[in-house]
Amino acid sequence: MSKSIINCCFLLIVLCSQAQTEKTAAANDSIVYKKKYGVRLGVDLSKPLIGAYNADFTGYEMVADHRLRRDLFVAGELGYVEKTSQEDTFRFSTRGSYLSAGVNLNAYKNWLEMDNELYFGFRYGFSRFSQTLEEYSIFQRGVSIDGKTAAYFESATEQASKNFDQQYAHWASFVLGLKVETFKNLYLGASVNFNKLIHVSRIDNFKNLYIPGFGKVYVTNTGISFNYTLSYRIPLYQK
Amino acid sequence: MKGFSILFPVLMLIFGSCENDDFCAEDTTPLLIIRLYDKDDPETLKEAPLIVWADQKDTIYSLSLLDSIALPLNTNQEQTVYQFSSTTLVDAIDFSYLREDLFVSESCGFISIFKNLTATSTTDNWIDRVEISNSTVENETAAHVKIYH
Repeated sequence: MSKSIINCCFLLIVLCSQAQTEKTAAANDSIVYKKKYGVRLGVDLSKPLIGAYNADFTGYEMVADHRLRRDLFVAGELGYVEKTSQEDTFRFSTRGSYLSAGVNLNAYKNWLEMDNELYFGFRYGFSRFSQTLEEYSIFQRGVSIDGKTAAYFESATEQASKNFDQQYAHWASFVLGLKVETFKNLYLGASVNFNKLIHVSRIDNFKNLYIPGFGKVYVTNTGISFNYTLSYRIPLYQK
Repeated sequence: MKGFSILFPVLMLIFGSCENDDFCAEDTTPLLIIRLYDKDDPETLKEAPLIVWADQKDTIYSLSLLDSIALPLNTNQEQTVYQFSSTTLVDAIDFSYLREDLFVSESCGFISIFKNLTATSTTDNWIDRVEISNSTVENETAAHVKIYH
């Protein structure tokens, strides 16, 4: 963890020094390429696509960002997910929406007037959801008979249908991503979020193992989520 | 740059689909621990040449000289009947209990523990008496049932 923080600081230092060399170069050069400013709105293409192929998943996500400085953006995501997860001995479904907000820092130096980004960023995420434990069967150790290990009695299976409403979770994320201007003001983007849970509601005799926007909760309270976006910038001004 | 934008989501799909490979390391549904004692000297363990099976099931212990055995309880019913054979004599013991399900972890899922355990020997061909020493079966650290013979 501390190693990654040091790495991030190093990246920031490199970025700052790059920004400074850029200034001196701009002073010598008469041509300064202006950057377009304005709200950029988009949708995640991956979630509806996954939903089309996977009957256990329905998801939508809207993304937005706005350039604050040349390489600094304020960014956010808003989404909704319905997912049924099948584990080895139990099945549960999750339904809910999420919101995340933070900043992106572009680390890519563009040629001429190009406006692509290779960025890293940070997010704070929040989700409100409901969890339903659909079904489970009892986990039992096998009994060894004549060298074969198998369950002696078949495990009981329960149709629990236990509903846990009003669940909350919030987390912090580190984002890595890119955006490419494919047509004028139209961007294709992809990003991966490395999430770390800050807090999640506890439930009686079960656990929130999937959180909308966060993804599957691993034993270390971490998760990975990603998106593949198509977005459009409404150009307001240039500078 | 544009090639990378296609490669990147492909890579993410690969990493995103990585399965959690941790296996269940915690305690699972406990087995019923039975210890065999001498009926004339109730403090002393006494071995018996045991054959144990449940009705319509394979033998779980086939002719072993033991003073301690562990048996699974049927989670589909609130009772399990085991047949205990020593030499040529057979006795049946009827174990009754209430099942309670507990969530352990993602890899283990749910396990059962058993409460209000009772044991009734319907015949007494070689078993003198059956006694419950712990009516809650939630771990395997100590005996739950004592058989005197």
